[in-house]
Amino acid sequence: MSQSSATNSEDDSKTANNESVAVDSVIDFKGKHFGLESTSQDSDDYLVSGSEGTMIDVERFCHADYRIEQYAHSVLDFSSQYGIDLSISYTAPNITGRPSKYPEYGDFPQTFAMRTYGAWWDRAPSRLKEIQPQNVSEIPAEDFIVLYFEDYIIPDEIAIFETYNPGAVIRVWAYTIAKTWICLWEDKEFYTKPIYSPSRARRFTPPLKRIQLPTKTIRLEFNHQRLHYYTEIDAVLLSGKKFNTRNMQHLLDYYERQRKVLTLGSILCKLQNMKFRPICRDNYQNRLQHFLMHDLDKFISVLSDVQIQSMQRQQQQQLQSSNTDEMKISKIGLKNMPFEIMLKIFSYLDLKSLFRVGAVSRFLYDVSTHPLLYSELNLKPYWHLASTELLSTLAKRATILKKLDMSWCGCTVQTISPTEFKKFIQQRGDSLTHLRLNSTKFLNASCIDTLGIVCDNLKELSLRNCSPSPPLLNFSCLANLKNLERLDLFQTVIESDLLLTMLENNPKLKHLNLAFCSVAVNMDDVAQHIAKYNKQLISLDMWKAHFLSAQGLLVLSNCHNLEEIDFGWCLREASLGDSLREFLTQCTKLKKLFLAAVRGLTDRDLEYIANLCPNLEQLDLMGVLGISKERYIDILQKCAKLQLLDLCFCDNIMDYDVALWSRTFKVDIKSCQVPNDFR
Amino acid sequence: MHSLGWSSKLISRALRSGFSALLETTTNVTSNNGGSKSRPHFISVVCGFPKDFLTSKYKPGKYGEDSWFKTSTSNADVLGVADGVGGWRSYGIDPGEFSSFLMKTCERLVHCVNFNPQRPVNLLAYSYCELLEQKKPILGSSTACVLVLNRENSTVYTANIGDSGFMVVRRGEIVHKSEEQQHYFNTPFQLSLPPPGHDHNVLSDSPDSADTLSFPVKDGDVILVATDGVFDNVPEKLLLDMLKEVEGVTDPVKLQMTANSLALMARSLSFDSDFMSPFAINARRNNINATGGKPDDITVVLATVAI
Repeated sequence: MSQSSATNSEDDSKTANNESVAVDSVIDFKGKHFGLESTSQDSDDYLVSGSEGTMIDVERFCHADYRIEQYAHSVLDFSSQYGIDLSISYTAPNITGRPSKYPEYGDFPQTFAMRTYGAWWDRAPSRLKEIQPQNVSEIPAEDFIVLYFEDYIIPDEIAIFETYNPGAVIRVWAYTIAKTWICLWEDKEFYTKPIYSPSRARRFTPPLKRIQLPTKTIRLEFNHQRLHYYTEIDAVLLSGKKFNTRNMQHLLDYYERQRKVLTLGSILCKLQNMKFRPICRDNYQNRLQHFLMHDLDKFISVLSDVQIQSMQRQQQQQLQSSNTDEMKISKIGLKNMPFEIMLKIFSYLDLKSLFRVGAVSRFLYDVSTHPLLYSELNLKPYWHLASTELLSTLAKRATILKKLDMSWCGCTVQTISPTEFKKFIQQRGDSLTHLRLNSTKFLNASCIDTLGIVCDNLKELSLRNCSPSPPLLNFSCLANLKNLERLDLFQTVIESDLLLTMLENNPKLKHLNLAFCSVAVNMDDVAQHIAKYNKQLISLDMWKAHFLSAQGLLVLSNCHNLEEIDFGWCLREASLGDSLREFLTQCTKLKKLFLAAVRGLTDRDLEYIANLCPNLEQLDLMGVLGISKERYIDILQKCAKLQLLDLCFCDNIMDYDVALWSRTFKVDIKSCQVPNDFR
Repeated sequence: MHSLGWSSKLISRALRSGFSALLETTTNVTSNNGGSKSRPHFISVVCGFPKDFLTSKYKPGKYGEDSWFKTSTSNADVLGVADGVGGWRSYGIDPGEFSSFLMKTCERLVHCVNFNPQRPVNLLAYSYCELLEQKKPILGSSTACVLVLNRENSTVYTANIGDSGFMVVRRGEIVHKSEEQQHYFNTPFQLSLPPPGHDHNVLSDSPDSADTLSFPVKDGDVILVATDGVFDNVPEKLLLDMLKEVEGVTDPVKLQMTANSLALMARSLSFDSDFMSPFAINARRNNINATGGKPDDITVVLATVAI
């Protein structure tokens, strides 16, 4: 068709009819080839919305003969798991390979389970406030897992085998060979769909978006808010057309060209898409000369005619509407507002919109780059877009940065360089009070050093899931921080001495999370230090600190302000003696007490809990055997504010008991059956 | 607390010195170079009887309180048996649960990335650690015997705790045999996880105390892995006679028949009250006047090596 228009315009003796034909064909081209006007909303998958004409080309690159189905081969990263790292019970590696338990339903250790469930952690005293909350998407992701598959495929189906409490998966991402993350599926009805009441395992197959690029890395994102209890996943099956890796370079080149096309101006784009290029045969120079002399003007005038016509049509419409409009059009617009009002308005915008609105006009640009709008930065929802360039742009704008959340950025792809981050911190870090770097992959020893040296005003430091296995990051400069009120080291391995030094230096510490970091750390020593130096502690999480002993429990009774404590899987000894009683007597403000798998608990200990904890709201007694029913009823009666009671894997309890108590005392009681065998 | 102290040492050692040092993973594992080297493998069969055979239901992987597993990966063949200690019944604990869990976890661990074919002791150790990570508490104790054939170097590595064991027969002779580990008569070494409060009364041995042995194997070797139900009831000579008949046999049906007869023989002898079983001989040596066989669960895992 391009050839026909060229020949049309070449011939000067054409009638007006033909010229209008030429115009129509230009408009046609606009519709068909210029695929940028398609309705894709996401700027990050512009590579996807290629025009239909290019579909044929891509198919050529695939080995289009057969489909393969593959289970996950390995786990590249995850944000949280229930078990400890070396274990094969309830941990992330269980999601690889074929399903071990599906289609059975139950709480099996051969599956992957995460640390949290429901909204209970958001109701605990240690709950976090979001930084820059307007950035957070409607359905925020709480956890993720990144899976690696063996073969490159063009994915068209994914099956997630959920064997316990299905319904936590909210997004599926794919990492393409063009080094971008594309969201293949998002759960739009997360809040409106009815709560999935589980009794059966589910093979969940969300409908995936079609993409043209092959992938072998998939990321699943989870949100547990609507779940009753832990969710567990047995396996993930990805299927699609196998991609022939020999063609990878060709495909990459092709998409590079496509991408370059999209960054050109509109006229050049049109030229490329119309394939209006000189055909490089022998006399191409002559043809080019001919075109430039005769047809270029016509071409440009045709284009501008089209534009002028469309503008005229629009103006006519406006005039018509304003003629019938009775009210006077106000002359005061956005640009007449005082600067402070504009700032206030813009403070409600999320980061993406802020950047976009800054591209509108000079005035709006000045407003949108004002440092007051960048005192809190949350890049976690943009983890897939975060890059060194973004960081340097933000560094220019964020001169009074107070709170920074860069969790999940730099995940598996080194798009953020450690040196750039170091520079960022050195430039902007001195007024930082809140810093969250959970699950980031770009931190190295010198970054941590810089943090310790520059950010001495830090009140909150969160380094969850931050240690590459082995070697340990050298955190020693963190000993310089002296104003910490919240320290989160969930799943991060830290040296014992450094931890003790940090505890000594931070007397104002209120929230401390040491879950999973404790195998090499002597928890009793830590407890001693806390008792001595951190008396203002409000919440303490020592999940899976296997070697915390009753001695440690006893000394912790020095912290009278404790409202939340998690001793799950600690205290492995035979009996706690009087330590629990002592602890409960001193810490009367306790609202959340988790004693999962503390097998040494006896009836007497539960009596103490009932009598000494009037403010208790959440209690976890999972896996504690040998307790009589009366003790449970006692607790339910005396702890009037109790909202959550976890009695899974306890004995002496029947289902009807649980149902009765739940109704009578208005408490959410978790109890689950023991799975039949350990196949 | 002995068991806990040990496991903390193991875990912290593992982390401090790095996983690789403890495991000594073999590096040249994954090449599939078309069989230029000879790749030995087991042909293995299982047979057994629970003590209460006439009244109990069959459960796969268990014979009463005994439990077994056999599995293979691309570079190893693994066999294992475990014998749950029956004394726990009086505490209300099912003795078969512990041994069953141990064997099933060993099987899962074999297929893990970290499996080291040259140290079966690690299988037992990590399996034991997994016990502590179960939501449902698993209590009890058991003996265990694990045998790994490393295809790379045609060598068998074994780890044995307690009175289960193995026997290797070549050219009509016993070339390797495991030793019974006992604290005192009828009290073998055992891995155990007692209920809280009973730690001091309970014998608990750490996987470190396992006997480890390694030896090369040749084509046609016969390997028997069994619990004490076999070794206590069938005299060694009789075992040898039966095993030397299947040397070099690769037909699994014939092997199965031999395993069946072995198990049946053990069972009939165990109920024979006049027969001087090895158990009775041992008892007499310990000044206990006993005759006849010892009724017990019987598990026989029989394998031949084919190269």
